[in-house]
Amino acid sequence: MANRTNIPLDLPPDPQKTRRQVRLAWGLVVIGVACALLGGAIYGGSLILSWMDSRMTTDTPESAGVVDTGELVIAVSPAMKPTFDRLVETFNAGATEPNLPVLTVELTPEKMVAQSVEPAPGFQALAPDSSLWLHQLEQQWAAQVSDESESSVIPLTQRRTNTPVRYAVSPVVIVAWESVARELSWPYETVGWQHVLRKATEDPGFKWNHPSTNNASGLLATLAEFYAGAGLTRGLTEEAATDPVTLEYVRAVESTVRFYGEGEAVILERLKAEGRDFLDAFVAQEQTVIAWNQGQPAERLVAIYPAEGTLWADHPLALLELDTLSEAQRQTYQAFAAFLTGDEAQRTLLSVGYRPADLALSLDGPGSPFKENDAVDWRQPQTTLQMPSPRVVAVVQNVWWYTKRPTNVFLVVDTSGSMEDGDKMETTQQALLAFLDNIRGDRDQVGLIEFATEIKRLEPLQPLTDEGRNHLEGIIRRLEPQGNTAMLDAVWEAHQQIVQGGDREAINAIIVMSDGLENASAHTNHELRTLFEDDEAQRIVVFTIAFGADADVKLLREVAQIGGGQFRHADETDIEELYRTISTYF
Amino acid sequence: MNRTRWIFVGIVVIALVIVGITLTTRGLRPDTGGSTPVTGGGEAITVDRPDTVTVRVLTALPVEAWVRNAAASYNATAPTIDGVPITVEIIAMDGLTALGRWDRNTFGALEGDVSPEEVDQATLATLEEFPTAWIPESRYLVELANASYKERLGRDVFLTDGEYRARPIATSLLTWGLYQSRADVLIEKFGEISWNTIYDAAIAKGGWPELGGEPGWGYFKLVVPNPNKNIAGLHAMIAAAGEYYERPDVTVADVTDPQFQAWLGELMGAVTDFSSASAYTAEDFALFGYSVGDGGQLLEADLLLNMEGILTRWEDPINLYYPRYVTWFDFPFSVWVGPETSALQKNAALEFQRYLLSDEQQQAGLAYGLRPANPRVPMDAVPDSLFVTWKNRGVESVIPRSDAMRNPNRDVLLALLRWFDLNVAE
Repeated sequence: MANRTNIPLDLPPDPQKTRRQVRLAWGLVVIGVACALLGGAIYGGSLILSWMDSRMTTDTPESAGVVDTGELVIAVSPAMKPTFDRLVETFNAGATEPNLPVLTVELTPEKMVAQSVEPAPGFQALAPDSSLWLHQLEQQWAAQVSDESESSVIPLTQRRTNTPVRYAVSPVVIVAWESVARELSWPYETVGWQHVLRKATEDPGFKWNHPSTNNASGLLATLAEFYAGAGLTRGLTEEAATDPVTLEYVRAVESTVRFYGEGEAVILERLKAEGRDFLDAFVAQEQTVIAWNQGQPAERLVAIYPAEGTLWADHPLALLELDTLSEAQRQTYQAFAAFLTGDEAQRTLLSVGYRPADLALSLDGPGSPFKENDAVDWRQPQTTLQMPSPRVVAVVQNVWWYTKRPTNVFLVVDTSGSMEDGDKMETTQQALLAFLDNIRGDRDQVGLIEFATEIKRLEPLQPLTDEGRNHLEGIIRRLEPQGNTAMLDAVWEAHQQIVQGGDREAINAIIVMSDGLENASAHTNHELRTLFEDDEAQRIVVFTIAFGADADVKLLREVAQIGGGQFRHADETDIEELYRTISTYF
Repeated sequence: MNRTRWIFVGIVVIALVIVGITLTTRGLRPDTGGSTPVTGGGEAITVDRPDTVTVRVLTALPVEAWVRNAAASYNATAPTIDGVPITVEIIAMDGLTALGRWDRNTFGALEGDVSPEEVDQATLATLEEFPTAWIPESRYLVELANASYKERLGRDVFLTDGEYRARPIATSLLTWGLYQSRADVLIEKFGEISWNTIYDAAIAKGGWPELGGEPGWGYFKLVVPNPNKNIAGLHAMIAAAGEYYERPDVTVADVTDPQFQAWLGELMGAVTDFSSASAYTAEDFALFGYSVGDGGQLLEADLLLNMEGILTRWEDPINLYYPRYVTWFDFPFSVWVGPETSALQKNAALEFQRYLLSDEQQQAGLAYGLRPANPRVPMDAVPDSLFVTWKNRGVESVIPRSDAMRNPNRDVLLALLRWFDLNVAE
């Protein structure tokens, strides 16, 4: 032990002891390395977890529903649609990333509002004809998502739209043929709503029209009637609007309206098709006058700026603040809004008769359609009617249904065997139900003729009371396809039914839908023409719908022409919308 | 191996285990954004030196065009702060709308005890869009927004003193703008343009013919912006109250007085259309002309900027008349001092603020109808100053003797907004 104690430190160690120590040391090293590897592995794992976490967090917006749909869809009012599409085409042609293509969808302003408050409307931006629709939209939205709280400094509700951009304006005017306008003392005297309304009530031959209240022109015309009826030019209240004297006046005026309808674009089409005899006057945007006269027609239209005041169609463009709006859509909207208010688009808008929002563009400057054009006057209007509060506007819109000209309309429906194909029968049933839903006047009557090889069912005209409505809806749900197509006989019968009713105060109409070739009628189209000509005083208007690719388009066109109405084409995708549209004529 | 080496090896092992456990614990902690140091997203706020500093300025609409142009000029100078390039972005927003967003915390300010290092990536991404500064129409809007946050977070987010305090960058005021043909008739009949004159015109049942004007003009039509969309509309009502009571300070008791409300109601009855979705500015005045409004109290800068357009569209020019009780807008440049923006962003915002207050930019503001906040810049400093161009339309460099309306408190604002919603908007 002493020797061992005296062994110098640098001497070789005891071989037995050394082997044990080496094993122990190696063991410790192995444990150390293992621990290090474990620690590293744990840290590495944590990095991987962290990375995965970050990936998941980054993906959150997408998982929350922010989806780039690859396009920006804008709902546009019908009258502006042709010009808007032209501008969209130019924008899309020059658009570069990150801007997306812009698409448009045509909707009446009323429908834009209704769809905009839904969670997922089919569009991200809207361009109604007037700001008043955006105001209605915000009112409905505020009621839906009121976020007022006591803790708020300023209890302002959230808005559904961002700050709108106004790109063009056009006053709503009474449009008349120049000869008609001169009869009303234009341009030597100021002409107002009162003159036109008096003319309409005193002259049974005077034909005028205003669109239904689902667009700015129609709403203004209706408001003007209520103002005139109440003897006011401002401060229309609920009480004044529902006063029996006011309602009687409006009812008398409305009884002179030939029909309602979709607005300027369709009226211009009808004027082109039917010429001078179609209407004497109608309510539309000033731009309509310029657009018509640019076609160098036989007779000009002129704009009468009502002395009592009018309303402006101010064409806003607004982005819906949707949760699903992508950054690319937002950027595209901004780029498109900038384009729309830019020089090129503004000059285009001026060239087709709108007053551009760019104040630098003079209306009487070189190239302006307002210059040296006495059919319109850029210094007008001098005054406007006061826009009542949204509550009063809503009352006017509702009360209008009880004052408007009543309607007797026969739905003539093809249920021949070919209607069995695809979803034709189901979509037709939905369309007919939608039509019934849109007929809300308390004096309106609807009848139905179901035809195939012969008339299968005839439901006479009946008021749409709860009972009448339920009855008709039940019949529509039970329609079944079978047999051939005797369309002319069905139209003939509808005509007879209306004539027998003898109601000349109402709008009398037949809506015929058929998907196949006429092959079973006892009457001919010539006989039908004679029938309509003989009873011309009854003024029964016929709308015809060619449903699908196999419909007898030629005959349906002719029947529409015989009945002084319109021919339309539809398929399973748009038949419901078409029936809704036609319902606005009543 | 002797004991010392064993101990050494043991210590190393223990150290490695501790490091591993620590890092793991940090990495797995759910709400602390452990990935932040790796991705660097959050570090940009507090630690890392970013590639660029973006200054986002929420800007009130009356000064937007000027500030946006100034931002473009500023960005073109390739500015830097501590060697980092600065980019200024302008976000246009009416002061009342912005106040609503601050109040609802739409911009996503962090809760009081949370720092940017502790939040997840989604929140960090939101903070990247957080406004660095705000230029509302008036200082009291800043105070209201600050009060809202102070109540919620227990700290100030906009300061009233110190380096980051709100500083006015320009001024403007509410003034009467009337079409000359209409103004001439009113002055002929009443002798002056004031709220009382406007009231008398508003209640004339016979409209303009009764006042001495043309029958075709219809009834008198007042222009007041919708107070829910444009702060100027709210201030117009407050200014009317000032004149009604003949003092610059109005209280809740004043604006809730039934007699005053009846008077205000009759005034508002002369407004043609509050349904317009727009805030109604002088641009609308120009677009729709006298058909929609014969005159009203609007922002001087807005009126001056649209004077040319009014002449282009409507032949009849607008004249300006200064009221007895004047409402000033001072457009304070207010830097957000919360942790949502970095120190670099805050300082870069101050740099841009200095740029806006420079002689050159203050002179540029004259072409937008804005009165300089920089006292070195006279109103006629440049030939294209709108104060020179439209001198013959009644614009005055020095405001005639008047009293400045005091800023309303929150309760007065609320009372007026409530009254408006219940009695006019509805």
